[in-house]
Amino acid sequence: MATSTYLSNPVVKIGAVDISDQCTGATINQKTTALDSTAFGDTAMKNVAGLQDNSIDLELYWSTAASETYATLKSLIGTSVNVTVQGSSAATSATNPLGTLTGGYLEEIPVEYKVGELAKVSITFKGGTFAWSES
Amino acid sequence: MKYVIVSDRVGTPGDKFEPASPEEAAALLAGGFITQADGKSAKMETEPTEE
Repeated sequence: MATSTYLSNPVVKIGAVDISDQCTGATINQKTTALDSTAFGDTAMKNVAGLQDNSIDLELYWSTAASETYATLKSLIGTSVNVTVQGSSAATSATNPLGTLTGGYLEEIPVEYKVGELAKVSITFKGGTFAWSES
Repeated sequence: MKYVIVSDRVGTPGDKFEPASPEEAAALLAGGFITQADGKSAKMETEPTEE
């Protein structure tokens, strides 16, 4: 069985900014809401596709140095931006697809400070359309 | 409006940058990732004159 192992290769961009070296986790949630279409006569639940409900979650170190996390995010709260995630920096292809969330809304920037740990922030870009690109 | 890349997170510093939208340009300017190509401050409306 072939699997894809990503140790440190993924590339994450928020808008035009490559934030990969501050990112420790990225989760793509590609979802199409299931609408119940079950009717009389059915013997099992049935569904049809509703609206897309996509999002991308990112785990980032909260660096306030120039051109780092704070500088990237500070103007984006309450706005929509494109976010891309790719398994590696190699060329986009069928085996290295580029996932793009177009128009993801940044609702909050919950910064977490803890004693003895690097400050982190976990953010979610909600909504927007999502697509995989292979070229 | 023309922009120049400052941070290598956006591209090669010194290269021109074409923002996808005015909002993107504003966010990148605020973050210090790009500057305006004419070198003027965003708040400067008139050029200074020599006395």
